[in-house]
Amino acid sequence: MRQLCFPRSFSLRQLLAAGWLLLVVGAATWAPSAALAPDLAHISQPPGGTEHWLGTDPQGLDVWGALLQGARTLVLVSVPASLLTLLLGTILGSAAGFLRNSGWQVSWRSLSTLLLTALAALVLGPRLVPASAWLPGVAAGSWILLGRLRLGRRRVAVPLDALVLGLMSLLESVPLLILVLAAAAVQRPSLGGLVVLLSLTCWTTPARLMRAATLQVSAQPYLEAARAAGIPTGRLLVRHIWPNTRHVLLVRFPLTIALLIGLETTLSFLGVGLPPEVSSWGQLLAAVRFAPTAWWLVLWPGIMLVSTILSLHIMAQNQANDVTPTAGILSKINETIID
Amino acid sequence: MKRLFPGFFVLLLTVTFASCSTSDSNTVTPAFRIRWAQDPDNLDPLVVSNGSAFEIANLTYCSLLKGIEGKTDFVPWLAQSFPTTQRLNDSLLLVTYQLRPEATWDNGSPVLARDVAFTLKVMNCPGLPIEMDQAMFGFIRDIRLDSTDARRFTLVCVGQSPDHVRSSGDFSILPEYVLDPQGKLRDITLPNLRQAQPAGPVVADFARRYQALQLQNHPERLPGCGPYRVSGWQKGRYLTLTRKPQWWADTLPAPPHVLQAFPEKLTYQIIPDAATATLALRRGEIDLYSLMPAAEFTRLQQSATDQQRLQFYTTDSHEFLAAGFDVRKSVLRDALTRRALSQLFDVPALIQATQQGAAVASVGLISPRVTAYYHDSLPLLDFSPVAAVELLRQAGWRRAGTGSWTRPNAQGQPEELRLGLSYRAGEPAYETAARQFSAAARGVGIAVELRPTEQSVLSRQLRAGETDMSIRTFSGNPFSYDFTPLLHSKGIGASNTTGFSLPASDQLIEQIAATDDPARKTRLLRKFQLLLHQQRPFTVLYFLRYRVAAARRLSVPVTGLKPGYEAARIRTKVSQP
Repeated sequence: MRQLCFPRSFSLRQLLAAGWLLLVVGAATWAPSAALAPDLAHISQPPGGTEHWLGTDPQGLDVWGALLQGARTLVLVSVPASLLTLLLGTILGSAAGFLRNSGWQVSWRSLSTLLLTALAALVLGPRLVPASAWLPGVAAGSWILLGRLRLGRRRVAVPLDALVLGLMSLLESVPLLILVLAAAAVQRPSLGGLVVLLSLTCWTTPARLMRAATLQVSAQPYLEAARAAGIPTGRLLVRHIWPNTRHVLLVRFPLTIALLIGLETTLSFLGVGLPPEVSSWGQLLAAVRFAPTAWWLVLWPGIMLVSTILSLHIMAQNQANDVTPTAGILSKINETIID
Repeated sequence: MKRLFPGFFVLLLTVTFASCSTSDSNTVTPAFRIRWAQDPDNLDPLVVSNGSAFEIANLTYCSLLKGIEGKTDFVPWLAQSFPTTQRLNDSLLLVTYQLRPEATWDNGSPVLARDVAFTLKVMNCPGLPIEMDQAMFGFIRDIRLDSTDARRFTLVCVGQSPDHVRSSGDFSILPEYVLDPQGKLRDITLPNLRQAQPAGPVVADFARRYQALQLQNHPERLPGCGPYRVSGWQKGRYLTLTRKPQWWADTLPAPPHVLQAFPEKLTYQIIPDAATATLALRRGEIDLYSLMPAAEFTRLQQSATDQQRLQFYTTDSHEFLAAGFDVRKSVLRDALTRRALSQLFDVPALIQATQQGAAVASVGLISPRVTAYYHDSLPLLDFSPVAAVELLRQAGWRRAGTGSWTRPNAQGQPEELRLGLSYRAGEPAYETAARQFSAAARGVGIAVELRPTEQSVLSRQLRAGETDMSIRTFSGNPFSYDFTPLLHSKGIGASNTTGFSLPASDQLIEQIAATDDPARKTRLLRKFQLLLHQQRPFTVLYFLRYRVAAARRLSVPVTGLKPGYEAARIRTKVSQP
């Protein structure tokens, strides 16, 4: 069903984009690991100095070193967060699109256990991480108790599609930046925390795309035939749905990275999300507030940021072009890229 | 209709021209806009915990005396004259005040001695947030009202120091008619109130009513006898003070310095970000920006455009930047560790980088400008990681194979020397100091986690003892050397945020506050500086120099006391003919 074209010859801009992204990854790899030490004798130095050839910020931090470390922060945050985002979006979107509102039936016992565990997680709220050992206990306790009481053997259909769509609408009703800022305000700044935070807030777009692609594939006659032949749901998903929808993710991956880079930079600019010792391009941009005439604090990180995001968009465009846009979903992705 | 049209056209033109014309720069503007970095934490007069709140309290309430930097002493404010004193046996001091006859509350009733008595009772009322008042004014044990003169009273103080005389008049007087209109507290004496545990029903009822007013957010519910009232407050945006149309001091033929209030309206714009504040000043959206970052101040001073629009003031202050250690934390319990960590601050470089060299290093909490009391024999802080390592070894720390430092704690378990360093977010000078310290500490194997924190959260954390180290400023004054709130055991849990106290330091603080002999005071203060130098509950990095930039049309009286200007005495310059 899926039609893939042979890769076209690379254009110059694609080569430049790929080269730039390789440079960023190289910078991330070779960046000094120790946090930068401020050079208080050379604060807000313009570029061209012998010791700091790209200049320093108002705290005496070397801009070149900060750019390299910023690249590493960017890679360490955006790539894992994108993978997690796509994983979450794929699972929820595919499940919602394939199982719809009646395809998943569970016993009352399982459903009650799930709801009670979710309720416990909600009550624990921000203390979830240290207290998460309680959750398996709550789940097991509920399961055993409901089993002893011989309750909930009847099976009931879970409206998964409606639930996922509702959750997506709920998350999308709040502006993404506000949502991320609110969540970042209650947790201590850390790289891992930021990755989880971005993943939990940005999965809705991939989920929508995966749901749409799954719906489209599910309606194909060969899948009806496979269902009629009694092939189990899991196998249907893995063997027949996933191979025909994964191209959506390939196109979405660079775009998600670009989105998360923008978010990470915004958060760093605002001084939330990452610890102050962790250099980032957003932090470097923010330093201009304390030295408004230091143009180099805008220029270098600005060039890095624009080039990286532009390169990722070119790569996404390239991916989209490699896949024959017969499916409506791909034209939707193309629209996203153009936007 | 034909006649109406030209008339309408003329009216439209007039309105258009009027709205497009610029205002005359010589016109007296009765309203001034001042930049604040943050809102007041709390406007309850019992809990004045930050500079903004203190400024508002000084403009809306009056105390008996007020410190004036120019006179390096307190002067009468609500009091008619400086109080008379009388020693009673070896330890008690009677301080007698006479209130100004002109002083009245907003309802026209006079400010009387019973209002002072009421205020002292509020400051000692169980169930109210009185910890800070207890630390600062706990030495006032009783008040005796004069039966023949409703404006005359005597405070009974423990200790006979001149500082006690001055401090005895340094609290805002509250109106009894608002808080206790039926005078239910009048029958309870101050000593009885201080000893009443648990509080009686009258006191408990009063505390409930006081708390119900929620003065922390609604200062307008408790009007003081100062020249201004809070007429608007939107947190995070602005706070507006409006001058009372008929303030009692207006009736004085020649009001003294402390009773002058010129601006009709003072609007404090909350602009946390320094760059945004500078932009607002340059655009004329604010009139005054105090405590400006040094680099920005220098840049504006050197700009020809800004020189035409703005004027610049600098003055030495009594405020210092210090690194505080929470001595209750296990890793910071000993003086050697604290001294080792102090060696990791590069003070001269920090002064140059953050203050453009315009700050003064000091050995302790007394400014080097106060030559009489400053302990100039002590060495200034020396940046020496080598000395820090040596001191850490002396303190029992051993460097592990991983490079970190460990030693057994009180329970015998190994503990690692890891620290969190908290400071106010968005303040470049603090952040630079924190980063410099962090880099130096990392160099000798100490892990430091930087924690930029919002101001009100940081204040709460400091009071609760939730920080290891902090970088913050401390404000002082040249009139009083009472360190009780800052370093006495009585202040722990309130204003003594380091948790430091020793019997010897408590005794010295009490002796310093009690003595009126200058030679003895000098001796005690030097001894106290030596003790702090050895114990290091905090390390003074440098004394700040205040920088104020203001619109050129203003005449701004600057002062070395926070916030660096006297808001009530700001005026528009008289235009030259």
